[in-house]
Amino acid sequence: MDSEFLRTAVAASLIAAAGGALGSLALLRRMALVGDALSHVALPGVALGLLFNFNVFLGALAFLIFGVIIIWAVEHKTKLPVDTLVGVLFTLALAVGAILTPKENILDALFGDIAGISAFDFWLASLISLAIIILLLSFYKKFTLSLISPDLALSAGQKPHILEFLFLVIFALVTAVGIKFTGALLMGSIIIIPAATSRNVARSMNQYLTLSAVIGVLSAVFGVLITNLYGFSLGPAFVLFAGALFFISIFFRR
Amino acid sequence: MPILEVKNLNVRYGEQIILDNISFDLEKGDALAIIGPNGSGKTTLLRAILGAISFEGKITLVENARIGYVPQKIDLARDLPITVGEFLSLKDAGKSAARQTPAYSPKESLNLVNLSPMFLKKRLGELSAGELQRTLIAWAVIGRPSLLLFDEPTASVDVAGQETVYELLHRLQDKYGLTLILISHDLTIVYRYASKVLCLNKAQLCFGIPAEVLTPGELTKLYGGGRKFYHHMHSEN
Repeated sequence: MDSEFLRTAVAASLIAAAGGALGSLALLRRMALVGDALSHVALPGVALGLLFNFNVFLGALAFLIFGVIIIWAVEHKTKLPVDTLVGVLFTLALAVGAILTPKENILDALFGDIAGISAFDFWLASLISLAIIILLLSFYKKFTLSLISPDLALSAGQKPHILEFLFLVIFALVTAVGIKFTGALLMGSIIIIPAATSRNVARSMNQYLTLSAVIGVLSAVFGVLITNLYGFSLGPAFVLFAGALFFISIFFRR
Repeated sequence: MPILEVKNLNVRYGEQIILDNISFDLEKGDALAIIGPNGSGKTTLLRAILGAISFEGKITLVENARIGYVPQKIDLARDLPITVGEFLSLKDAGKSAARQTPAYSPKESLNLVNLSPMFLKKRLGELSAGELQRTLIAWAVIGRPSLLLFDEPTASVDVAGQETVYELLHRLQDKYGLTLILISHDLTIVYRYASKVLCLNKAQLCFGIPAEVLTPGELTKLYGGGRKFYHHMHSEN
């Protein structure tokens, strides 16, 4: 086993674990689609990174944070319908990204490019994913409460709007680190599919959170293996495996 | 010294007036019933006290007041994988943990609402409407609140269960000197359990002791004419 393979497997697993844990919280609020849409907002940033030759992580993150601020502000500071705006925003971002992305990179930007991972990318993705996992674990009660009922969170002395913003920022971080691996189109699947699978079978919050992360890691390892053997993109390989697990989990619904 | 003082409270959404110049105060141990037709601003008033919405005017809580809140309904997906025990321990995450008076344990708080400890392992989605309501009450009292806000206790409970929820509140109130604000549609409940009543129809139409202020004239003013009010006197036994 060569070290590049191992490196990719470790980074992909950490990203998937962070994504799975994040997803389990996101699905508490039926935020799945906001998350999916948000990952598309990263595309123009990825495109700019490719065009001007800087790390796509930075480009993606900048656009994602911008997207988070808009979504959050629309939800809490205006009376505009969030769903509609998110829908417009993300197709707009996708269009801008598609125009900006150099033709030869478009597939990589949309579906991920595992071959392009450098040592720096490896460390960046691994450390940020690890930090996100720690952050989510230490705040998970607060996030859970303010996501399932902002009113109850408020009566417990929390500030649900702030927590929600922090949660969206973490969302943006996960997406930005993951995008290099899965691409913009499939990033949402890292967050949604393992959590949705876990939700079918979990009997408690602890199980739900843990299982989401474990399923994410399994799918990532499988994805990296397949990619290595057959030269697929990692994103689709991940989604195929995680998707299969999801359909199996339906038969084990509690 | 009043535990809660509301003075010239106004709430608007844009041009629309939701609450118009509300003023009242509550002493420790009071049970205030808020009554009024649909859309009269009852829930808005609770949410203002909770600090969930912006308002004009003054809402003063006694120092170190702890608020427990039982919402009318909680919009949970039935398949949410969270157990009652986990749900009740979420409150540790709030400020209640930092206070001097220790919060109840999840088991103790279930005991207060007459649910057995076996409920700790049940998922919220498995509970009946009545059990869920008790769980929400357990959640509200777990941090030993001094003020309990209760949005329409009867909304999801059948008639047989109804009395017990009020009796439960009454018992908690007697035992812990809790101050209670509850929204109710049921005048019988108001006469029976409330020490004060606030009639709301965007503006404050009455405030005082139920037997004194709830005259047929006031009620007609509150709910409009053409409605008959039946008030069954319950003999205390």
